[in-house]
Amino acid sequence: MTEPTYQIELTGDITEYADRAKVLESFGKLFKLEQEKVEQTFAKAPVIIKKGVTETEATQYKSALQKIGAVARVIPPDTVVESANENAGNMAEVEGDESPTQRHSPVKETLSTPVPVAASEPVEGGAAESNSMVSEVLEEQRGFKFNIEGRPDYAFLTVNIPAGETLKVEASAMATMDTHLVMKTKMKGGLGRLLTSESIFINEFTAENGAADIGIAPGAPGDLGHVYLDGDTIYLQNSAFVAADMRVNVETKWQGLTKGFFSGESLFLIRCSGEGDLWFNTYGAMIELDVDGDYVVDTGNIVAFTEGLDYKITKVSGYKSLFFSGEGFVCRFSGKGRVWMQTRGVQAFTSWVYPFRPVKKSN
Amino acid sequence: MKVEFMHRPGNTAAKVLLEDGEACTAESGAMIAMSGNVDVTTTTHKKNSGSLLKALKRMVAGESLFLNHFEPRGQSGEVWFGSSLAGDMMEYDLEDESLIVQGGSFVACEQQVEMDLGWQGFKSVLSGESVFWLHMKGSGKVILNSFGAIYPVEVDGEYIVDTGHIVAFNETLDFTITKAGKSWLHSFLGGEGLVCKFHGKGTVWCQSHNPSSFGWAMSGALKPRSA
Repeated sequence: MTEPTYQIELTGDITEYADRAKVLESFGKLFKLEQEKVEQTFAKAPVIIKKGVTETEATQYKSALQKIGAVARVIPPDTVVESANENAGNMAEVEGDESPTQRHSPVKETLSTPVPVAASEPVEGGAAESNSMVSEVLEEQRGFKFNIEGRPDYAFLTVNIPAGETLKVEASAMATMDTHLVMKTKMKGGLGRLLTSESIFINEFTAENGAADIGIAPGAPGDLGHVYLDGDTIYLQNSAFVAADMRVNVETKWQGLTKGFFSGESLFLIRCSGEGDLWFNTYGAMIELDVDGDYVVDTGNIVAFTEGLDYKITKVSGYKSLFFSGEGFVCRFSGKGRVWMQTRGVQAFTSWVYPFRPVKKSN
Repeated sequence: MKVEFMHRPGNTAAKVLLEDGEACTAESGAMIAMSGNVDVTTTTHKKNSGSLLKALKRMVAGESLFLNHFEPRGQSGEVWFGSSLAGDMMEYDLEDESLIVQGGSFVACEQQVEMDLGWQGFKSVLSGESVFWLHMKGSGKVILNSFGAIYPVEVDGEYIVDTGHIVAFNETLDFTITKAGKSWLHSFLGGEGLVCKFHGKGTVWCQSHNPSSFGWAMSGALKPRSA
């Protein structure tokens, strides 16, 4: 585990205009700690509250803490403060207490066995788990309750559907569910979806008599992304759709000949708009990138992007590059928005497999 | 050139930060994404060195005939690299030395690192798997990938590694291709085939999985292709 790890230090300060008691209370809620422990933690501040997280996770933590009014500092790798290190040991104990509480949720309990958990080191697993916890905390206020386990290699999604509500799920992605969920198969997006080479059907799961859990496993091993759409629009690459709120409009969009055909990927994108949760999956790990200006992404590695971005399919440089660079076509994004990418590509893998295909015997 | 690895060890991606004036050379097809101001040139050889002959040799090594050069324009830029197989990556800082890299493991290197195909004689032809090795020479950073996990083995004396599990090794090591068992028959029946026997002092980096074993394991389930 030599990936650069960041530490999060709680300075013990409270942001301006925030009420200390309230901050402590929400801090306790956020980390599922008793008030007594929270008091102790703040008394000890500055203190490292989390170690061994990646940069993105660290910023997530920071903003989560900022939201409740606690000031946190992200410590990049290599700057190990000695005194802080001592505290880290103490805090690790607190964390030890805290992480099982996450497992108290019934969802996790019932599902822990069939979930393919990545055989990663405990440190890694811990970080990934708490990462999903943070995103959970951030999104708790609106949308469905959900939980993503096994990140980042074998992400598995569990959504709690409240009574009477319905969730759209990609056909065949359902792995486990409570018995009182009722499934309906619908053809969404009309004929267009037929052409995306994605399965034509989206299944609708309705929780008829009380809340129910559904476990969803995407087809390719990898990570899961989640966004809460608030009237905005996200475009997904054609096999990335996993699940969405009923209020999210899922439709296929013709990319146009030049944008679609030449990209070598697909002529269609999936356009998701409206309001509600949206989950999508990646093949391999997920890279989230905020684009401001100009960014180039290999067409095979694009998972999703926000609507504000303009995109153009081009060759990576001259005509020679088109055939020989091995990159084929790339997507040049411009403007301001966010792009989600996957570390691996389906096409890259299939072409690796190609030489291993048996040769047809001529008879 | 600054290298940062993300999402190790299962689905590793390398984020390379290039300052203005720096450049790096990568295996074709390895790029995932890059800043808009990065220029890409595709050549058959390393800039200012080598020839088509070198490129042809590289193709034989299981690498692509072409290399991509990434160079940011005006300001610093970043480039992301990935691999087609699941696994880890490593960074090696060459300090005026040589590293021998298994053909398929090369991802990228700094521009000033010299790259050539090492011909190991007929002994390596016999090894069957990746017969050819890339010689990385000079000073600078090299990024390598593996199928599965990557682990270093310090060799002092003798050590045996299956040919399909080698990622790279120091040039200070000498090797011979040999059989794993006592007799040829046993070695082949045991599925080990040929192994690499290292002599000397240095480090061998191994990968936990053998790509061609994985490929042949799938082979039976794949649709036949026309020859």
